[in-house]
Amino acid sequence: MSEVGAQRGARPEYAFAHASEAEFARILDFYQVAFEYEPQVFPILWDLDGNVLESFAPDFFLPDLELFVELTTLQQRLVRKKNRKVRRLRELYPGLKIKLFYARDFRALMLKYGRSALVSELSGTLGQVGPRQNPEPEGDAISVGERKPAARPLDLSSNPSGAAIYQGASHEGRSRGARRRAVRRAAAAHAPNSPVT
Amino acid sequence: MKHSQDLNEDVAEVLLSEDQIRVKVTELGKRISADYAGRELTLVSVLKGSLPFMADLMRQIDLPLRIDLMEVSSYGGTATESSGLVRILKDLSAPIDGRDVLLVEDIIDTGLTLNYLLRYLRGKNPRSIKVCSLLDKPARRLVEIPIDYVGFEIPDAFVVGYGLDFGEVYRNLRFVGVLRPEAYES
Repeated sequence: MSEVGAQRGARPEYAFAHASEAEFARILDFYQVAFEYEPQVFPILWDLDGNVLESFAPDFFLPDLELFVELTTLQQRLVRKKNRKVRRLRELYPGLKIKLFYARDFRALMLKYGRSALVSELSGTLGQVGPRQNPEPEGDAISVGERKPAARPLDLSSNPSGAAIYQGASHEGRSRGARRRAVRRAAAAHAPNSPVT
Repeated sequence: MKHSQDLNEDVAEVLLSEDQIRVKVTELGKRISADYAGRELTLVSVLKGSLPFMADLMRQIDLPLRIDLMEVSSYGGTATESSGLVRILKDLSAPIDGRDVLLVEDIIDTGLTLNYLLRYLRGKNPRSIKVCSLLDKPARRLVEIPIDYVGFEIPDAFVVGYGLDFGEVYRNLRFVGVLRPEAYES
């Protein structure tokens, strides 16, 4: 048995917001695809004063592929809002590559790897972990270069639902103003088409 | 997993008939023979799914060629494997440095396995390396990799037959078909 090249250094231990994200991360790890979890937040809507009204932080960034991946295990009829955000992101950041991984894609992936029995347990609200202490709308706001605090490893076998048990990932201690400033920095750095200058 | 004694009963639709596959494999063989004319080629098949395709394709290539086989572990997600990494279960039996290599795949969907294999094989310093896949399911693609020779682009459905399995069954079907959901939904 052998592996490709030298092993990468240990990656940060991320606090995944959803069990499906943890499973997806394990698949990426297995195939030695480097990733970062929610590394960037992209402003997608501003008011007339240039204040960010809405932002979007894709779940994964695969640096070797220069690809963002947004994972959703919501039913297809419920993903309209997410579709709109991705569409808006593509309009504003045309050089950015993003793939939206729908529930059906996730289901197919689980089927391919013989994990179809887990689909219902990793999907939708059942797969959600403990509530965030100070949740953003849709849980999107994380500033550029900042990561959620590491949590203990997710254990899919430790409760009957199979949902990852996690408590503690939060944006505690970050003021609204600090978040706004972080979002503005991201906008300046990454949004050539945005009205923020 | 439940499967019928007559495997055909588990197939909702024949996507690619035996004849369609035969015609396409012949066509691919001609293209490959023309592209590599005057050179020697090494075909590397990825077990187990690509075995029938490899067997048919190699007989449609009019070149001096070598064949080799590889097998890599697949993600299973069990407790013991969750911290693991993909492994080469069967490595090449001969060096490929300085050789023209054609990686023969049955299907490419996410591209994760192919991405790993190409990185691994490039590390062995072949003269060139290209990819030939009977089936391409672009709707599932995660890792964008150029595929040099594609037999068929297929829709986003779970397919079996002609080497493709579900739970190690259905590989021996002579066609590629869409599996009935009842066969994989418990």
